[in-house]
Amino acid sequence: MKQKVWALVAVLGLGIAAGAQAADTIKIGLMAPMTGSWASEGQGMKKIVELLAEQQNAKGGVLGKQIEIVTEDDGGDPRTASLAAQRLTTKGVAAVVGTYGSAVTEASQNIYDEAGIPQVANGSTAIRLTEKGFKKFFRTAPRDDEQGRMAAQTIAKLGFKKIAILHDSSAYAKGLADEANALLKKSGANVVFFDALTPKENDYTAILTKLKGANPDVVLFTGYYPEAGLLLKQKKGMNWAVPFIGGDATNNVDLVKLAGKEAAAGYYFLSPPQPQDLDTADAKAFLADYQKKHNELPPSIWAVLAGDGFRAVAAGIAGAKSTDGEKVAAYLHKDLKNFSGLSGAISFDAKGDREGEVYRLYKVDGEGKFVLQK
Amino acid sequence: MKPRLKWLGAGAFVALMAVAPLFLNAYQVDVLNSIGLYALLGLSLNLILGEAGLFNMGHAAFYAMGAYTAAILNTRYQIPILWTLPLSGAVAGAFALAVARPVVHLRGDYLLIVTIGVGEIVRIALVNDVFGITGGANGIFGIARPRVFGYVIRRPDQFFYLIWGFVALTIFLFLRLRKSRFGRALNYLREDEVAAEGSGIDTAYYKLAAFGLGAAWAGMAGTLFAAKMTIISPESFSFWESVVLFMIVILGGAGSIAGVLLAAFLVVGLPELFRELSGARMLVFGLVMMVMMVVRPQGLLPARGHRFSWAGPQKGVER
Amino acid sequence: MEEFFQQLTNGLAVGGIYALIALGYTMVYGVLKLINFAHGDLFTYGAYLGLTLLTSLALTDRLGFAAGVLVLALMVMGLVAVLGAILERAAYRPLRQSPRLSAVVSALGASIFLQNTLMLIYGARFQVYPDNILPAATLNVFGLYLPLMRVLIVLASVLMMVALYLFIQKTKIGTAIRAAAIDQDAARLMGIDVNRVIMLVFLVGPALGGIAGLMVGLYYGQINFTMGWVYGMKAFTAAILGGIGNIPGAMVGGLLLGVVEALGAAYISIAWKDAIAFCVLILILIVRPTGLLGERVADKV
Repeated sequence: MKQKVWALVAVLGLGIAAGAQAADTIKIGLMAPMTGSWASEGQGMKKIVELLAEQQNAKGGVLGKQIEIVTEDDGGDPRTASLAAQRLTTKGVAAVVGTYGSAVTEASQNIYDEAGIPQVANGSTAIRLTEKGFKKFFRTAPRDDEQGRMAAQTIAKLGFKKIAILHDSSAYAKGLADEANALLKKSGANVVFFDALTPKENDYTAILTKLKGANPDVVLFTGYYPEAGLLLKQKKGMNWAVPFIGGDATNNVDLVKLAGKEAAAGYYFLSPPQPQDLDTADAKAFLADYQKKHNELPPSIWAVLAGDGFRAVAAGIAGAKSTDGEKVAAYLHKDLKNFSGLSGAISFDAKGDREGEVYRLYKVDGEGKFVLQK
Repeated sequence: MKPRLKWLGAGAFVALMAVAPLFLNAYQVDVLNSIGLYALLGLSLNLILGEAGLFNMGHAAFYAMGAYTAAILNTRYQIPILWTLPLSGAVAGAFALAVARPVVHLRGDYLLIVTIGVGEIVRIALVNDVFGITGGANGIFGIARPRVFGYVIRRPDQFFYLIWGFVALTIFLFLRLRKSRFGRALNYLREDEVAAEGSGIDTAYYKLAAFGLGAAWAGMAGTLFAAKMTIISPESFSFWESVVLFMIVILGGAGSIAGVLLAAFLVVGLPELFRELSGARMLVFGLVMMVMMVVRPQGLLPARGHRFSWAGPQKGVER
Repeated sequence: MEEFFQQLTNGLAVGGIYALIALGYTMVYGVLKLINFAHGDLFTYGAYLGLTLLTSLALTDRLGFAAGVLVLALMVMGLVAVLGAILERAAYRPLRQSPRLSAVVSALGASIFLQNTLMLIYGARFQVYPDNILPAATLNVFGLYLPLMRVLIVLASVLMMVALYLFIQKTKIGTAIRAAAIDQDAARLMGIDVNRVIMLVFLVGPALGGIAGLMVGLYYGQINFTMGWVYGMKAFTAAILGGIGNIPGAMVGGLLLGVVEALGAAYISIAWKDAIAFCVLILILIVRPTGLLGERVADKV
C-alpha cells in the first residue's frame, strides 16, 4: 500500500515536470476563473477569446503565425491566480489577457511584470491597479472612480435627493460605493443609508425592509447581478416602487431572467456600452458569429472586454512586429490609438488605463431589454 | 517500513527537495512553495487536530491573524517583514488562547462549529475593516519583500529555500515535541480524556496549550504568506482554506508528520496536476479525495503509537 | 413596531428553510455521528432536479398548480432520496468503522464532486425557475407584507417537521431509528437491522433536503450550483444551535437562526449579520454546551 502511495507522489512529480513544449505558434495566455463562483464569467471569456483567435487564424494569424490560446484557471481567488500566472509565464506566452476581479488580477501583476509579459485585464476596475507604475499592465475595463463620478452625476441629473447606498463588501462594490458616497455628500445630497449585504444568499427581504424604513428616493446598489436580480424581485413582492440604480457588475443578460421582466422594468444601470449597441459592423458581425456558435449572448460586458483585450494584444504584436514584451507594451502605450474594439474605440494612456468616457446609462424596459439612455 | 529504510527515505526526500529548484521552472517551484506553506499550516493544525484531537475547522483565522499582523507592522511601521515573525506568532497565539478559553471544553462537533464561527467572524471583521487598519475587502498591499542577510528574496526559487527551510525547522521541532512529555500528554488526551484527567493531566491546560502553539505556528506561516504574495486580502482566509487544511491533516493521518507532508503534496498538487482538465479538475479532485479516504480510512500514513523499549502487542490508533 | 414584526416574519420564513435542511443533518448525525457535509449539495440537487422536471414535463400546465407541484415534490423527494442512499453506500459505509473524521473528509470530497458535476451538466450560470407558476398573492395582515407563498412555505416546513417527529416517536421504524441512535451494537442484538435503519435515514434526510431545494427554487426563482454550501453551513449551524441529533432542536435552531439573522441585520448591522449570528451561537454554546435542546451526554467511563 505504502509503495502505491509513493508511486502516486512520483507520478505527481513527473506530471508537474512535464510542462512546456515549443511549437511554431504565437501563444497568448488567458487567465480566467474557469471554476469557482465566477466560473460563468470565465467560461464566457474563454468562448469569446477562442472564437476571436479562430477568426484571426482563419485570416492568417499574426506575423504569419497561428495564434494559440493557452487558458489557465485562476479559480477566482488570489492564491490560485498567482500559480496560474507562474504557469503561464513558463509556457512562453507573448502576452496575457485577464482576469476578472481586481484582487485576483492584483495577485498576478508582479509575476507578469517580472517575467516581462504584457497583461491586459478585462474585469478589474480597482483604481490602484494602474497606480503602481507597472509599464506592461493595461486594462480594457474602466476605473471605479470614473464610474463613481458617473453614478453621482446621474443621480443628480435624475433629481433624486435622498439616496440609499448598498454594496456587498467586495473590493469592487465597496470602492464604487465609497467613491459615489463621497461625491454625493460633497454635492450636498442626503445619503440616508449606507451598508453592505451578504452576497450569495437568497433572501434579502430583511435588508429591503430596513432600506424601506430609511425612506430613500433612490437606491444605488453597487454589487453584482445575482443579488440585484433578487433585490428587484423581492422589492416588487413588497410593492415598494423605489427606483434602483446599479453599477456595471449588474450588466448581465441573466439579470432580467433572475428578477423577472416586470420587476426589472425601470431599473437603471451604468455600464460600458453593450456590444449590441455598437454601430460598428465589426461588433455586430462578431456577435452574430458568437450567437451562431454558442446559441446565446455573451454573459456580460466583461467577457466582451476580454475579447477586446485579445484584439489589442494581437494588434500590439502585429504593430510591434515582435512578440517581445517591451516592444508590444510600448506599441500599446504609444501607437495604438482609437483601435476598433468590440466595446468601442480603444486607446491606452500612460498608466495603461483605457482612455475616454466609456460609461453609458441604461434602463430596463417593460420587455426586459436594456435600452441605452441618451 | 523498517526504521533504517525510513531514514533513507527521509534523507532522499531532503536531498531531492534541496536540489529541486535547479531542475524545475518557476511555476513548478511556485507550486512547491504553495505546498510548503500548506505543509506548514497543516503541521500547525496537526498539533491541535491530530495530536490533541480538538476539532478545529477555523484555522484560517489564526493564519489570517499572523498575516495581517505582519502586513500592518510592515506597511505602517516599516518593520522588516521577517522580523515580525515572533510578534505575529504571538498575536495569533494569544488570540487563539483568548477565544479558545471559554469553549475548549465543548464536545467535538460543537467545538467544530465554534471554530468555524470564529473563522467567519474574523473574516467578516477583516472585510469590514475593523479598527480601520485591515483595509477592508481590498486588504493590504505593498508589503515589502523580505531580506535575508542583505539579500532581497524575490524569485520563486529564493522563496523556496526560505519556506522549506522553515518547514524543515518546524518538522525538527515538532518531532521533538511529539516525543516530549507534552506531546505524550496531548496524545493521551486525544485517546481518552477521562483517563488522562484521572492520571493527573490538566486537560484544560494542555488543550489550551495545543491551541495556542498551533495557532502561533499558523500565524508565522501567515507572515511567510504575506511576504510571498506582497498583498493580502480577506479572500485568502476564507472558510474554504480552513476546510483544505482540515482535509490535509485527516487525509495524511491525524498526528502523522510525514502524512501531513504527503497530504499537502496531494491536496495542493493534484488540482495543479489536473489543470489540463480545465472545468472538470475540481470534480476529479473531489472524487480522488473520496476514494483515497475510502481506501485508506486511517489516513495515508497513519501515525503509530509511541514506542518504548518494550515491544509488546500494539493496537493502531483507533477512536 | 410594525417593522419589528415584519422583520420577525422575514426571519421565520428564512429560518423555516434552514430548519428543513437542518433536519437532514441532525437525523444522519443522530444515528451515525457523522457530519454530512454533502447534505447541502443534495439540497442543491433538489433544486436542479425540480427545475428540470418542471420544465421538461410541464407538470403544472397539465395538472394545475396544486397537483402539479405536489407530484413534482414527490418526484424530487424520491430522486434525491435515491441519491442520498447511493452517497451513503459509496462514500460513508466503507468508513463506518474508521475514525470519525475520515468520513467527514470523504463527505467534503463528495461535496466537491457533486457540486462540480452540476456545474458541468448545467453550466456555471444561474438557472432560473419559470416565474409564472406560483400565485403571487400577498396577504396584508395589520400592515405586514406576507406573500401567500411565504406563509405556505413555512406551513409546509412545519408540517413536514411535525410529521417526521411523529414518525420517529410513534412508529415502530421510528423506535428502531432511535434505538440505533443510542447504541448500534445493542440495537443489533435486539434484532434491529442497523444497516437498513441507516439506509432509511439516508433516504429521509436527503428527501427533506431535496424538497427544501425545490421550495427555494420555486420561491426565490434563482438557483446556482454553489448554493448548497451557503445553505448547508447555515443549516449545520442551526442543527448545532438546537442540539445536534435532536429533531425538535433542529426546528427550533433553524427558526431561531433565521430570526437572529433578520433582527441582527435590522437593528445592528447588515454587513455584520453573519458574525452576529455566530456570536449568538457561541454565547449559547458557552451557556449550554450541547445546544438548546441537546441532551447532556455524560462521557463514557
